[in-house]
Amino acid sequence: MGVKQDDGSIMPTSEQEKISDELDIRVKKFLRGEKTNLEGLQDKKLKGQLAVREELFGKSAQAAAKAEKWLLPSEGGYLEAEGIEKTWRIKQESIAREVDILSARSQYDIVLPDLGPYTLDFTSSGRYMAAGGRKGHLAILDMKNMSLVKEIQVRETVRDVVFLHNELFFAAAQKKYPYIYNRDGTELHCLKEHGAVLRLQFLKNHFLLASINKSGQLRYQDVTMGGMVANYRTGLGRTDVMQVNPYNGVVALGHSLGTVSMWKPTSSTALLKRLCHKGPITAMAFHPNGHLMATAGKEKKIMLWDLRNLKDEPLQTLPGNADTLDFSQKGLLARSTSSFVQILRDSSGTQNYNNYMTHKIIKGYQVEKVLFRPYEDVLGIGHSMGWSSILIPGSGEPNFDSWVANPFETSKQRREREVHSLLDKLPPETIMLNPTKIGTVKPQRRKEKKTKEENEADMEAAVEAVKGIEPKKKTKGRNKPSKRTKKKQEIVANAKRPFLEEQKKEEEQVARKKQKVIEQVELPTSLQRFSRKKSAT
Amino acid sequence: MAETKRKSRGEAKGKRGKPSKKQKKGTDTRERKGPRLPNALRKELERLNPVDEGFGSDEDQEEVYGRDLYEYEEELPEEESKKNRRYDPVENLEYQMPEEFEDENVSSDDDNDTRNAGEDGVEDEDEEDDDGRQRTTRITSEAFEGKTKKKKNNVVISEAYPESEYNPTRDMLEGEGPVSIGDLLDPLHGVSGYSKLRKRIHHLEKKSVPTPAPLPKADQEKLERKAAYEKSKEELQKWEPIIKRNREAPTIYFDDDMDLGFSTVGAIASEFEPRTEFEKKIASLVYDDQVMEAHQKDGSRLLELNKVSAEDEKDRHNRMAKMRSLLFRHEMKSKHVKKIKSKTYHRLLKKDRLKASSTQSQMDPEAAKELAMKQEYERAKERMTLRHKGSSKWTKRIKERGIDVQDEGTRTAIAEQQHLHALLTRKMNSMKDGSSSSSDDSSDEDDVDVYSAGSDQARASKLLEKAKEKTLNLLDEDDEVPNSGVLSLPFMVRGLKKRNEAAAEEAKLALQEYESWSNQLEDSNGADNAKVAPPSGRMVFNASKKEAPESSNKTKSDNKIRSDNYYGNSDSEDDFKPKENVDIREDRSSDLQNNGGINPVLLHKESKNHKDSLFKNFDDIVQDPGPKTTHEVSIFASGTWKKMKGGNNADANVNKPTRPLESVVLNQNLQEPVKELDEDSDADSEGQMVDGILTSDPKVESSYELPSQAEIIRQAFAADDVEDDFEKEKQEVLNEENPEPEKPVLLPGWGQWTHVQKKKGLPSWMLQEHESAKRMREETLKKRKDAHLKRVIISEKLDKKAEKLYTKSLPYPFTSKEVYEQSIRMPLGPEFNPATAVGALNRPEVMKKPGVIIKPIEFEEVNPYERIEEQTQSGKKQKKRNKSKSNSGKNGTKVKTKLKN
Repeated sequence: MGVKQDDGSIMPTSEQEKISDELDIRVKKFLRGEKTNLEGLQDKKLKGQLAVREELFGKSAQAAAKAEKWLLPSEGGYLEAEGIEKTWRIKQESIAREVDILSARSQYDIVLPDLGPYTLDFTSSGRYMAAGGRKGHLAILDMKNMSLVKEIQVRETVRDVVFLHNELFFAAAQKKYPYIYNRDGTELHCLKEHGAVLRLQFLKNHFLLASINKSGQLRYQDVTMGGMVANYRTGLGRTDVMQVNPYNGVVALGHSLGTVSMWKPTSSTALLKRLCHKGPITAMAFHPNGHLMATAGKEKKIMLWDLRNLKDEPLQTLPGNADTLDFSQKGLLARSTSSFVQILRDSSGTQNYNNYMTHKIIKGYQVEKVLFRPYEDVLGIGHSMGWSSILIPGSGEPNFDSWVANPFETSKQRREREVHSLLDKLPPETIMLNPTKIGTVKPQRRKEKKTKEENEADMEAAVEAVKGIEPKKKTKGRNKPSKRTKKKQEIVANAKRPFLEEQKKEEEQVARKKQKVIEQVELPTSLQRFSRKKSAT
Repeated sequence: MAETKRKSRGEAKGKRGKPSKKQKKGTDTRERKGPRLPNALRKELERLNPVDEGFGSDEDQEEVYGRDLYEYEEELPEEESKKNRRYDPVENLEYQMPEEFEDENVSSDDDNDTRNAGEDGVEDEDEEDDDGRQRTTRITSEAFEGKTKKKKNNVVISEAYPESEYNPTRDMLEGEGPVSIGDLLDPLHGVSGYSKLRKRIHHLEKKSVPTPAPLPKADQEKLERKAAYEKSKEELQKWEPIIKRNREAPTIYFDDDMDLGFSTVGAIASEFEPRTEFEKKIASLVYDDQVMEAHQKDGSRLLELNKVSAEDEKDRHNRMAKMRSLLFRHEMKSKHVKKIKSKTYHRLLKKDRLKASSTQSQMDPEAAKELAMKQEYERAKERMTLRHKGSSKWTKRIKERGIDVQDEGTRTAIAEQQHLHALLTRKMNSMKDGSSSSSDDSSDEDDVDVYSAGSDQARASKLLEKAKEKTLNLLDEDDEVPNSGVLSLPFMVRGLKKRNEAAAEEAKLALQEYESWSNQLEDSNGADNAKVAPPSGRMVFNASKKEAPESSNKTKSDNKIRSDNYYGNSDSEDDFKPKENVDIREDRSSDLQNNGGINPVLLHKESKNHKDSLFKNFDDIVQDPGPKTTHEVSIFASGTWKKMKGGNNADANVNKPTRPLESVVLNQNLQEPVKELDEDSDADSEGQMVDGILTSDPKVESSYELPSQAEIIRQAFAADDVEDDFEKEKQEVLNEENPEPEKPVLLPGWGQWTHVQKKKGLPSWMLQEHESAKRMREETLKKRKDAHLKRVIISEKLDKKAEKLYTKSLPYPFTSKEVYEQSIRMPLGPEFNPATAVGALNRPEVMKKPGVIIKPIEFEEVNPYERIEEQTQSGKKQKKRNKSKSNSGKNGTKVKTKLKN
């Protein structure tokens, strides 16, 4: 069956197949894993229920895939070279000539030579940018209409700036302490407990502000209630390489010994430590889907690591230094050293990153930070002489989801979203390496106690083993049958003893527990009827 | 089966019943039948249930038989089977009996009964009994006949045996024994048709096979139950597909019939039909035509009577409107007045009101009297209750704590209370007299003034003076003795005089008192003038309060200066400084508040403050030669910080003796130089920035680009150690999480003989234990996730807080972990699913709207093999159908019942 097109001709089957294949891929994505295997199920009712469920899931995925295929307003694309052209040879100027005015507007350099290298941060919608000059210059910019929202001078070293959950608040790591400012530049909080913080990160689903300070202490502060959630000594020295995995909220730190450690607020030891480089780690970035990590070491290597399937070897090793790394929403990787910026792209879809674009700023400018702007094909570069913005086609997600982040958000919507996000705030313990495991059955701990049957079986085996031993031939007087039988019995009893002792101990424990339970339940008789009756164990 | 059986029996009964009724009215016992039992059995039965002579007992026995033993079908009509004497043989022989004849027979039967009535009941019974037996037995009539013949032959009457077949009764012996068909046929011998008849009878006899004994009752019942079960099962099975469909449906809809029935009271009322007598009566009266008619007519007439002239109506309307507007205006005004927050306004208003009331009281004696009464009452009440005397819990507590400690509001409240008490309990001179004399009025006015204005000394003195005057007047007044009347009598005159004298004396005393009071008042006034603030706590405090703002202002300004200093110094100073500052501030303010008192301690503090500030100033001066304090200070601060940092670094170097850590330091140093220098430059540049020369120096930055050769070499060689270090670290972690078992140590002299010890070394069990522990450890290490990964350490620590995010066990219907985990993989929320699917994904099991009555399931034909999908659709269809049905049906009038069956 063909689908009728506008001109009345019927779509060729090959095209149809292509479309259906594409849809299938998308459906697979939306199904989020394998269908439940109902073959082995014995419970008919459950089977029926699950079958209905699966069908609904399938429909939902189908609908989502179709919507994604046909209804999304814009499509992403990349630079595509023809013939001997190379994408990385294409200069920004030539891109500027081709693109529309609105996009061309986002190619600019802001020259602020005095206040040192700038670090940048975007809000999750990409609408606002915070820029922090090392020498105390803090600025909030509206990127849509290129206007300055607020600019303040704190007259202190500023090492990092980060937006909190929306553009109204941002935190700046200053000389001695991090501070929280609001959009108007009013200082709201001075987070003295954090100390001299080198890097700040905000976990927007958990409303945690994570910081690493000069003495290598990692701190998590809840920005809603203000409590210090966690404070851990990393014990791996000073570092200013810190990145949050956006997928699961795990904070990764890059250390001077070439290790990357991953942390969560409810564990005082690192969840994972991995030796990535032979030299100190200079930069780190996470792919938005959380499965890929890029690290750069001092030994002139950039490595890509698979986080789902841990292996000793990296997925890919790229040559080169990087002072700063960043993944875009679409998975482009930007790296930068001194005044050179390179964009890498996984063109084949096999996690094999190649050179995609390069950009050079004026020599002598030291790049401090590269950061892709969300929902735009724009890369922000903070450097020692201000900041620049260049176009990287295909870097940003072309379609924004206003439920997630809306660049055109009104203040009312912002308020609404703030409340919603606060209601949806996740507790810190939900941070774990694999958050899909939440709600599943608790992993079995190591079995410490043997079951009773096992114990008995062991005992029997021991007794059998002992019985097999032929008693020694003793001298005349000692070899009486009575003595021999006695000896035999003794051997058996000895073999049994440890098991019996163990059993006894267990029973005692159980009895003690029972006693405790009995002691606990001492309600007045009038209330006893309301207490739940526990089955006697 | 059972059914048919029952039916046949019923038929038989019917057959049997009719003629018997016709024949013998009133003797129902005849209907009982039983089989002809074998002899031995009968005997046994009789032995067990000996026959009583009583009528009832016999009957009982019969019943027992009937109940327990027989269940039997009769094929032959009574007349044929029974050859009883009572039946006329000839009539019985007739093959087809005419109707009239039978009637005759019935009557004759009756006669027979009447004839037999004289005989004893037992015999009668027995006879009937025998009849029954004959009727019911399956034994052929010939055999029966033979027996009877035998009985006829041996005419032996023996009463020794209980009555039975072998012991026939008397009437039987007399010739009334049972008669067989053969007997009856014999006389017909030779008559035409005889052979035919005989053949038929013969045939009948041949055919009649003895029916098997009926099944025991229990079995019969079982069979019946079985049949019934089958039937009901069949009945129920037809519901199965419907039930199955409902069970399997993910959602059941109950909101199909949305007709909620009555919606208004009117609708319900219109449905009302009179049912009871009373209601009917009422209805007949209410809906009586005449009444209705009369009402209608009357109503119209009344309306005619109601006619009002247009002008009147207009007038009334106008009046009402005016009133309404006035009321509204008044309301608005009062609202407005109530809203006014100005205290002065309210005070003035109150004053006005008071004045008005006072004038009223002046003008109107009644009002004055009322006022007086009211005041008197108030007074009396106060005297009785002593409410304001200060005996309440609250005042007591406040007194206990000390009034000076309280805040202003409380103090004023207490004072107010005391004042009120004084006012209310003071003996009043004029209130007692309820009359409306002018002087009293004036005093009243005074009183009111006193109330309103509070204790005003001038007023008091005025009052005293007035009192004085009045008393003087009284004294001056000549006693006019009436010349006539009762009062002119001599004893009355004397009495009057005496009274006057007493009064005069009293007046004098009063005068004296007044004078002393006025003196006192004057004194106090003078004192007030002299002393600005007498030493009672409240006054003093107020005074100081007035002064306080100034001082606080001063302190504020001071503080401002201080805080400036503080901010300037903040960089170089530690955290405890600001606290100190605050302390100082507080001290100061308190000092300033206690403006008069010279407290040595405070002085000391003050001086300390001065010293502090001096020191600070000194510091400032030392630190910065210029007048710009803050900026220079910041430079200084950065300087100290630098120093501090250097020290720290040194410390760190000292503290890290081990090699790997050393390398850390080295690396750090390697890594850091750029940043460090950067920061240093920050400090420098800050200084520059502050000075207003905001210049960057890219030269410096570019200079960090090239590390020295030595550093490069170190960097190159640093890599070699890294892996080893990591391995060591991993080992440490492993050891920490699974500690290595302790090496067995033998304490010499314990457990074994010394010579054995030397030879054998450690005992085997120790070694074994050690071995097993080692093995265990290795196993656990192997089981670790990072067992095969050299460069990865995965922490196996259990996060207790996160444990609550897992389920402890599989939820009920699931039996396999994989299936469960796969079933929860999809998010269900609206954020993750298209709007078309969210509803279906999250639909509850039962869809029902509030107020909808759920009806019992109705039977419908369902194809049990169709799939759920279609079923849901069909369910919807059904819903629609139902809707249309409900719409087409009676509009919500039918009463819905939940229990249909």
